[in-house]
Amino acid sequence: MKPPKFMYCDPDTVEDAIALKSRYGHDSLVLAGGQSLMPMLNMRLANPDVLIDINGISDLKRITRTGEVLEIGAGVRQSELETDAAVADAVPLLGKVVPYIGHIENRHRGTVGGSLAHADAAAELPCAAITLDATVVVQGPSGRREIAARDFFEGFMTNACAPDELVVAVRFPVASAASGSAFVEVARREGDFALAAAAAVAEVGTDGRFTALSIGVAGIAATPVRATVVEEALVGQAATAENIAAAAKRIADRVTAGDDLHATGTYRKHLAATVVKRAVVAAVADAQNRSNGS
Amino acid sequence: MTTVENEKPRYKYIGSDRKRVEDPRLLVGRGGYIADLKFPGLLHAAILRSPVPHATIRSIDATEALKLPGVVAVVTGEDCKAHMNPCMNFGPSSIPQFPLAVDKVRYVGEAVAAVIAESRYIAEDAVELLEVEFEDLPAVTNPVAAMEPGAALLHDGHGSNIGYERTFEFGDVAGAISGADLVVEDTLHWGRSAGMPMETSGAVARPGLNGVLEIYCNSLNFSYFSFLIAGALKLPSNRLTMNPVPAGGSFGSKFTAHKVPTLAGFLALRTGRPVSYVEDRLDHLMNSDHHASDRYYDAKMGFTSEGIITGLDVDVVDDYGAYMQFGVGTHGNAFSQIVGPYGFRNVKYHLRAVLTNKCQQGAYRGFGSEVHNWVLERLIDKAAVELGLKPEEIRRRNFITNDQFPYKIPGGNVYDSGNYPAVLDKALGMIDLEHWRSEQKRLREEEGRYIGIGLATTQERSVFSATEFWALNDNPDFPLTSSPESATVTIDPAGQFQLLLHCQSMWGNSPETVGTTVLAEEFGIEPETVNVRYADTARALPGTGPGGSRYTVMLAGAVRGASRKLQRKLIDIAAHSLEVAAEDLELVDARVQVKGAPEKSLSLPELASTAYFFALNMPPGMESGLEESYTYDHPYTTLPSADRSDLGVFYPIMGHACHIAVMEVDPDTGTTKFLDYVAVHDAGTMVNPKSLGGHVTGGAAQGLGSTLYEELAYDDEGQFKSSTFMDYLVPTANEVPPFRIGHVETPSPFTEYGIKGGGEGGRMVTPSVVSAAIDDALREYGMRVRELPVKPATIVATVQAAIAESSK
Repeated sequence: MKPPKFMYCDPDTVEDAIALKSRYGHDSLVLAGGQSLMPMLNMRLANPDVLIDINGISDLKRITRTGEVLEIGAGVRQSELETDAAVADAVPLLGKVVPYIGHIENRHRGTVGGSLAHADAAAELPCAAITLDATVVVQGPSGRREIAARDFFEGFMTNACAPDELVVAVRFPVASAASGSAFVEVARREGDFALAAAAAVAEVGTDGRFTALSIGVAGIAATPVRATVVEEALVGQAATAENIAAAAKRIADRVTAGDDLHATGTYRKHLAATVVKRAVVAAVADAQNRSNGS
Repeated sequence: MTTVENEKPRYKYIGSDRKRVEDPRLLVGRGGYIADLKFPGLLHAAILRSPVPHATIRSIDATEALKLPGVVAVVTGEDCKAHMNPCMNFGPSSIPQFPLAVDKVRYVGEAVAAVIAESRYIAEDAVELLEVEFEDLPAVTNPVAAMEPGAALLHDGHGSNIGYERTFEFGDVAGAISGADLVVEDTLHWGRSAGMPMETSGAVARPGLNGVLEIYCNSLNFSYFSFLIAGALKLPSNRLTMNPVPAGGSFGSKFTAHKVPTLAGFLALRTGRPVSYVEDRLDHLMNSDHHASDRYYDAKMGFTSEGIITGLDVDVVDDYGAYMQFGVGTHGNAFSQIVGPYGFRNVKYHLRAVLTNKCQQGAYRGFGSEVHNWVLERLIDKAAVELGLKPEEIRRRNFITNDQFPYKIPGGNVYDSGNYPAVLDKALGMIDLEHWRSEQKRLREEEGRYIGIGLATTQERSVFSATEFWALNDNPDFPLTSSPESATVTIDPAGQFQLLLHCQSMWGNSPETVGTTVLAEEFGIEPETVNVRYADTARALPGTGPGGSRYTVMLAGAVRGASRKLQRKLIDIAAHSLEVAAEDLELVDARVQVKGAPEKSLSLPELASTAYFFALNMPPGMESGLEESYTYDHPYTTLPSADRSDLGVFYPIMGHACHIAVMEVDPDTGTTKFLDYVAVHDAGTMVNPKSLGGHVTGGAAQGLGSTLYEELAYDDEGQFKSSTFMDYLVPTANEVPPFRIGHVETPSPFTEYGIKGGGEGGRMVTPSVVSAAIDDALREYGMRVRELPVKPATIVATVQAAIAESSK
């Protein structure tokens, strides 16, 4: 379990990092927190000629709120999202999602951009990003562009970045004061990748009906998926446990993950419906609590 | 948090909670493990492992690998065939094994070739450059299919894929079953898991002076068998010295782990230079010597209408993997406590040990007895439900009673002593089961939550006798009967103590705490003042090493024996100096004093000074110095009968435990959580309740792993599915509940101080108690744990099937 030979670069600026990406493209890999990449290197599942270590780029480590947008730099450590007051205020769901990423030691090293770029379908931050309609900011030799999270995750551990681009930030819309959020995950052990997980953000009108609902699900397909079938079934309907349970069952059709060592496809279908149901119920309760001022 | 309730100690040091003397150096990172060992010019080996389960090795081309700068040599099975004998082997000689595969590979992960290079990095680079041509053979992965005629053979020389088959019957099982009021039957599968120490197995070997090969390794027990490693390496036994290096955990995985040091030794001999081979995690998971039991059972048990067990009929197929290095010793363990703590007399056991294209089996905490215990307890729980008896009640009715000890069980082993009702009562006293049973009902009705209660017992055999290695065979090659342990106690000229242990016993357990506590008890010194060392095999007296929960008992016997000899000498010196008769003297608190007149005394430093430097003050003819050794052999063992209708006494120092777990199960996710857990153990006289509690906790955590999480899985094609810790799930502090621990002390009549072994019991009972609690929580859905590990998907599938059935 020793990595193969590679050239190591540690640029100080985003521009230098992109210059290296432009030069080495597919033969290079970006090292951020290393929580996935280092084991892959040690097991020789990854074999880059060049490793571009972006940990020294201070520009990537900022959290800024501009109006109704919270921008989190790609190099921000995941654990900061658990403790940062601005994050808690702007996007409460993040603080509920992040504790499920690995263990605290992983989150102290693991970065926000690293997790998004790695694009594991069972990972928490990609699931949160699609739920919250985040945009991923990438930068290449010709400048920056923004990619909607739901377009960013293209397939199994593949993202929409070009070989000469670097993920530099992610932008989350600030949550509406009326919304409630929740995250429910089931894993074999605490800190493992989700067998299935669901994030939900809900708004409920004074008549008790859903006025807005977004649900993201991890661990059930090649990418995190939005549970649009469930959202559509519920918006405009009364936010009752019965309605939610009935609608949640529709997610089962979106489960494409089959049998593996830890779960069966059949189990994942049942589990997906269960976590969606529980996340929506909890998000509704959270919305009610917030509107009650508690 | 863990609470320990212990009885009042009867000794000054033995029986008191003490911090381990091993811990300070470990806690500051000065453990001195194998990977810390450096020699000038040290080379590093990396292994090419088979990617296929069963194939003939057509060719190995090392041309490109050897061109890589820094690569020193490539060694293959051809070299082993030419320059080695097969490895030591307690299984059939028709199933030989070398440290590198010879002619064919038999499982994914088997070692094919070793690259030796200036660094492990270069060695791994070169492994990728080796070109091996395999010619695939049919993969044999199902142990039942493996026995069918026409199945591909793993070992042509053995002629069959059945490594061992025999039926043992004690009593009249057919009569017991046919005469029973109730017969419960089940088909059960205990899946493969293994001990996962933080430190893997490793060895450093170097050619030394006088043609002596030195091997430093973290394997255990080698003072028992280093001559066998020398034999494999074609060295005279006195030209191999094995040096103990502390092991960072074993749990069985380093027990007699001979192939790693044998390979390192062979590579050092081939290159003439020091070579380090330390398994990495991939090596360890797929090729550790010690994948554990993988057994398929058809079992039935008869009961009277009162719940009294009439007999047990077991048919077990054990998926042994590709080799049988320890024979069927893990089933010998089952025979040592085949009736559990229960009084029934009729047992039948049909065993087939089957060869398949998987890693070989070895040792893991429990050594196979834990599997049999799970089967026993599964059947008893099934009967309890059918008879409407509480789990504690059916067990209590079947217990061997206190007046029956020493008790000879069917098959011949003897239980030395016990008080099973006391253990059960203590456990019941630590938890309010009536509360939990009413809470179970309330939570189900009011909150739709499912909680279950499991209660199980286990025997905890300890202190194996060597007869166990061969007693299941009719014509053993080497029917040995010794399993000794030695200690050397030295008091230096200043009166300070050195304790020399004669085997590698430092594997995360507490040999130094035990040895120094006994010395403290015998001499009235503080345990922390003793310095402990380990002998290499050139110096070592007879020793067997830890395993089978023997070391505490055996070390206590050896240290006490050496202490007694030393005490006699001290008293004789004092008698001469003080001009007092020896019988009027006693050793109290590190002084030899006149009985009734303690002011007339000599301290240990004064006596030591005399022993080393003042020969004229010593009794005439007495040898200078203060060093004594003692070799303590098994306290109670007998030979098996020639026809094996009686297997003899081979594991008589018998502990006992009862665990009770309260668990919540989520029927929609299949996840579980503990609400309470009580563990009561009787390991005879306790040396140190704190470290015994650690054993119970660690063992129970590992039992939990085997029950819910850990699985060394192969697919139908023989591919290994568990090669990383993302696949092989070891429970962490998040999954392991705070076990509330209690102790009962029923001393052994056969050991020094009445100590029994207590290293494995935790893992022997957790699987039973957790299985029972899950069943109990989801009883309305017909939940029945039949296969370990039980995964969330299985639980949800059972619940969903029951719901679908009931809505038909």
